[in-house]
Amino acid sequence: MKLLERLSQFCAVLAGLILTVITLMTCASLIGRNTIGWTVQGDFELTGVAAGAAIALFMPLCQLRRGNIIVDFFTSKASSTTIDKLDRFGTLLIAVMMIVLTWRSAVGGLNAYATKSTTMMMGFPEWIVFVFIVPPLALTAVIGLVQTFGATPSNPDINDGASA
Amino acid sequence: MSPIALALSIFGIMLLLMAVRVPIAVAMFFAGCVGYIGQSGWMPLSNYLNGLAVARFASYDLSVIPLFILMGNFATQGGISKALFGFAAAVMGRFKGGLAMAAVLASAAFGSICGSSVATAATITSVALPEMKRHGYSGRLSTGTLAAGGTLGILIPPSVPLVIYAILAEQNIAKLFAAAMVPGIIAMLGYMLAIGIYVRVFPGHAPEKEDVEKLNFQSFKGVLPIAIVFTIVFGGIYGGFFTPTEGAGVGAASTFIAALLKRELTLAKFKQCFYATAEGSAMIFMIFIGADVMNSSLALTQVPAQLSSVVLSWGLSPLLVVSAILLFYVVLGAVMDELSMILLTIPIFFPMIMGLDFGMPKNDVAIWFGIMVLMTVGFGMLAPPVGLNVYVVNNLAKDVPITESYKGVMPFLISDTLRTLLLLFFPAISLWLVKFVG
Repeated sequence: MKLLERLSQFCAVLAGLILTVITLMTCASLIGRNTIGWTVQGDFELTGVAAGAAIALFMPLCQLRRGNIIVDFFTSKASSTTIDKLDRFGTLLIAVMMIVLTWRSAVGGLNAYATKSTTMMMGFPEWIVFVFIVPPLALTAVIGLVQTFGATPSNPDINDGASA
Repeated sequence: MSPIALALSIFGIMLLLMAVRVPIAVAMFFAGCVGYIGQSGWMPLSNYLNGLAVARFASYDLSVIPLFILMGNFATQGGISKALFGFAAAVMGRFKGGLAMAAVLASAAFGSICGSSVATAATITSVALPEMKRHGYSGRLSTGTLAAGGTLGILIPPSVPLVIYAILAEQNIAKLFAAAMVPGIIAMLGYMLAIGIYVRVFPGHAPEKEDVEKLNFQSFKGVLPIAIVFTIVFGGIYGGFFTPTEGAGVGAASTFIAALLKRELTLAKFKQCFYATAEGSAMIFMIFIGADVMNSSLALTQVPAQLSSVVLSWGLSPLLVVSAILLFYVVLGAVMDELSMILLTIPIFFPMIMGLDFGMPKNDVAIWFGIMVLMTVGFGMLAPPVGLNVYVVNNLAKDVPITESYKGVMPFLISDTLRTLLLLFFPAISLWLVKFVG
């Protein structure tokens, strides 16, 4: 678990740095556009692709901290062993969802590689986007499995960090 | 199985999974998958899933969400909130219940650079709650105020739920932000009024006299960073210098710089920014994935499309339909989180609303309806049994029972209801500022 924690924290910091770089690039591009008429080529596309990588890299930490919103209204009177079992069922379903997404995204990436499809503006090969997204999804699946079958009881502080 | 029975079974599976503590996003995903496979088999679903994650994550339109969340977290960790609350306390200190009103003012100001209600509630609570406690405010009033104040994070632009509505309804984000501005300020004033009335009708929840610092030049420095960032972001968006996504990027960068200048952003806090952004954004995108699968599965049943024409054929008064939808949101919001609710229902309700004749141009209706949806989201964040904001604030105030906090939000829920009715009957309040946006 310690290793998974390190890995997901590393992913989150990496993603945060990617986003920060994107914000600085946006500023540079904007200043250029509104003063000397120069912009970063394909900055819209780059922002989308970078944000995609960042979102995927954010997934493992969110799962590690059990950041996904649950409804505890119907189980507020259940015993802690029941809740622990239900939460293990929940993390198992998350793991299955992540395995499916990892698998299908990997297939999607291979298809993109085979057909050599590229992004519109920059002609950036699309499969590279998949390369950034598939590994963090796989890591999230592993975290879900460890939470399901691991020894540590589930974290009671589940509503933490949710935001809307 | 008839289409309606099918659609209801898909919903039933989702609710069942949700009831046993399966995360909402995952419940939607599995209910959607079962419905999809049942109708068209595994192959079409697997093809659909191939590009789903990448298409949702790597989208320029949606990248505005993590950027606004990052901006809010830079502001949270950057030590901007403490000075802000000091300023608000100096402004409002002379009134009875002044510190509570100051918490509302500080939440509103913070909300003008933060798009999340939970983040606003948590941030302002951390600086305002100890002060309110020290001055003798009851746990009920202080937690209720802070939970309600947090909703100003989404009522006042930028606003993540409004961004999501804009994307679903294919509306202009800048115009929706402009439309939310006046209702947001009305919300702030309404909350202050609620506090003013409450402390007079129920004495003992606020101190008789408060000794707070007088307004001086020093306290103005507290609002300066936020004022500058707000001006850059919204001046840039409305001046036509950049798109909302670029605005979010510029906002995050300038909040980052403001936090650096305050010299509060240590390496540990910097990491904390990223961790909080990770949780906040990943959670939303999980919901996107789940809602996508659920929506495509529901769309296959054809029920959403038919529902709209059936309701239109009844020839009900448009205002009645909107009121019924808003009431439905209040009920559904009691068992579901507001974001999933918007994602699942806007694709169904929006075409219905657009088919009705309100005597206004279609674009105005779309914007006004967005504001009405936003109001019910704010309401849902406070209302029992599951008010996310109340949970967050109550978690930070260790010694206050949750029932006290729910009692504390009652005056604010009344204020919310009155404001929602006002905006429902007078769309012009939301729409007049939009006219000035190109």
